[in-house]
Amino acid sequence: MAELDIFLQNIANGVLIGGVYALIGIGLTLVFGVMRTINFAHGDFVVLGMYSAVLFNALLGWDPYLSLLLAMPIGFFAGVIVERFILSRVIDAPPESALLATLGISLIIGNAILLTFGGEPRSVQVSYASSTFSIAGVNVSMVLLLAGIATVIMIAALYVLLNRTEVGRAIRGTAENRLGAELVGIDTRRIHSIVFGLGVMLAVMAGVTLIPLLFATPTNTGAVFTLKAFVVTVLGGLGNVGAAIAGGILLGVVEVLGASYFMSEYREAYGLIAFLLILLFRPEGLFGRTVKRV
Amino acid sequence: MTKHLIGLGVLLAVGMAYPAIFPNNLTIAVSVLLFAGWATSWDLLGGWNGQVSLGHASFVGLGAYFVAIGQSQFGLAPWWTMAMATAVAAVLAYFWGWLTFRLRGPYFSLSTIAVAEILRLVAINEEWLSGGATGVFIATLPEPFGIDLFSRTAQFYMALAFATVVISTVIVISRARFGYQLRAVREDEDSAMAAGIDPTATKLKAFMLSAALTSIGGGIYGIVLAFIEPHVIFALLLSVQIALTAIIGGRGTIWGPAVGAIVLIGAGEMFRTTFAEANMLIYGILILVVVLFVPRGIVGELARRHIRRLYAKRAQG
Repeated sequence: MAELDIFLQNIANGVLIGGVYALIGIGLTLVFGVMRTINFAHGDFVVLGMYSAVLFNALLGWDPYLSLLLAMPIGFFAGVIVERFILSRVIDAPPESALLATLGISLIIGNAILLTFGGEPRSVQVSYASSTFSIAGVNVSMVLLLAGIATVIMIAALYVLLNRTEVGRAIRGTAENRLGAELVGIDTRRIHSIVFGLGVMLAVMAGVTLIPLLFATPTNTGAVFTLKAFVVTVLGGLGNVGAAIAGGILLGVVEVLGASYFMSEYREAYGLIAFLLILLFRPEGLFGRTVKRV
Repeated sequence: MTKHLIGLGVLLAVGMAYPAIFPNNLTIAVSVLLFAGWATSWDLLGGWNGQVSLGHASFVGLGAYFVAIGQSQFGLAPWWTMAMATAVAAVLAYFWGWLTFRLRGPYFSLSTIAVAEILRLVAINEEWLSGGATGVFIATLPEPFGIDLFSRTAQFYMALAFATVVISTVIVISRARFGYQLRAVREDEDSAMAAGIDPTATKLKAFMLSAALTSIGGGIYGIVLAFIEPHVIFALLLSVQIALTAIIGGRGTIWGPAVGAIVLIGAGEMFRTTFAEANMLIYGILILVVVLFVPRGIVGELARRHIRRLYAKRAQG
């Protein structure tokens, strides 16, 4: 029985951490789906979220979840500004230009954080950091559970936004066919700004929910999250929001199971190997249509 | 062509005289030359062939590790291990490319990051192979013709030879049939295929050559560092640095990557006290400037202006 318990425990942890990966991945895939831009700075926006929680905690003593109230709108507007002043200028240039621009943004964010906060790892201590929750003999950490709940709420909100509102329709229209969307009167430049803002907001939110769990370091963590976001989106299929959720959970489970049953020091590698295998055999993603859109 | 030969002559003349004029600034010159060589090798694939790799640190690491482990564990001289590293880098690039060149566009760049990260994790975790996370130390080196390879001057001349060899290779290729094939594939794979060029074979050759040349520089870097840590030498940041050096200097130009190395290492050195370890900030700002205002890079933009002036002159006269 003990083995089954451990297995269930691992699955639960994998699914919950995977939910946060999904949140990160959705931001990346949304931006890619609409703007056809691979955002290399995505992980750095996650780190920016982590540091915003650290900052609010240090200055005002806020709980990370309370700081979401401020961090999310700030993230959204930061994204809008970055899109307006940088990305919108290269949207019609060869695709590498946008990729290189986001690489530049990534380096600037990471190193700006390094200059402001210094290189030592930072985290936020919360009273519930080590408390656990027991459901049917499976212990679930409170922090992970909260992160999971936040993820579900956010994904639901995003679903409503994309499928039940006029802006959502415009976003989906722009993703499907930018020229066509413009022809029916959608201001696609505005949509691009909104979508990039949403992407950054999701990244910031994921960062805030992760901070009680992980330490943030200025430059390395960003690259790690960007890679994870790529893995998630490619597992699901680039530009597909629903599949990114599945991809995120899959990555979480693969990492946790791989680490506990094979070699734990290769935890990061399991996701990458899965990523390469998917790229090689199903570049459109596990759930993507067989048509290659890129 | 004569222009490039003159450039090469200037590089060699300045390089030969440099240690005598600035004997105290050799370390920075070694960095400039190594980055010039790496960025030029990267450019063979990334600029001339249009395949942006963000995993070139793997080949740097491969070269450095071969030299360090060969010396410290098997007592093999660096020239033998560098030759081995070159061969292994080419074979690795062959399989890596064989796996990833089926993917076009952003997928290739993404997969290079993944492969490089996996190599880094292997280097950190496989202690029997790489000395693990603590790294490898080079304690002794042979002295060919009585030259002390630990001296900065000797290392400077090695780096100079490396940069010269790589740039000469690109000069030759830019005029050769292979160079035109590279550019044709970059511009339009389907049209290149229609003209009888095999895009995958062309990319594979470019990748193998680029990898082999990069690993030679990696071997020299191993000697310069004398102490190799996996998270430094296999870092994603080093890969990004190599790629950005070439792009900021001017992709697909002969002298662009070298100019990029001078500008970026120079800027990094100038702002070192201001930004301390955050000096990649300069790379971030410069790449944004280049993408937004000079998409051809420094040398590419100068060359374009020069050509336009020539046309204007011809139209007038």
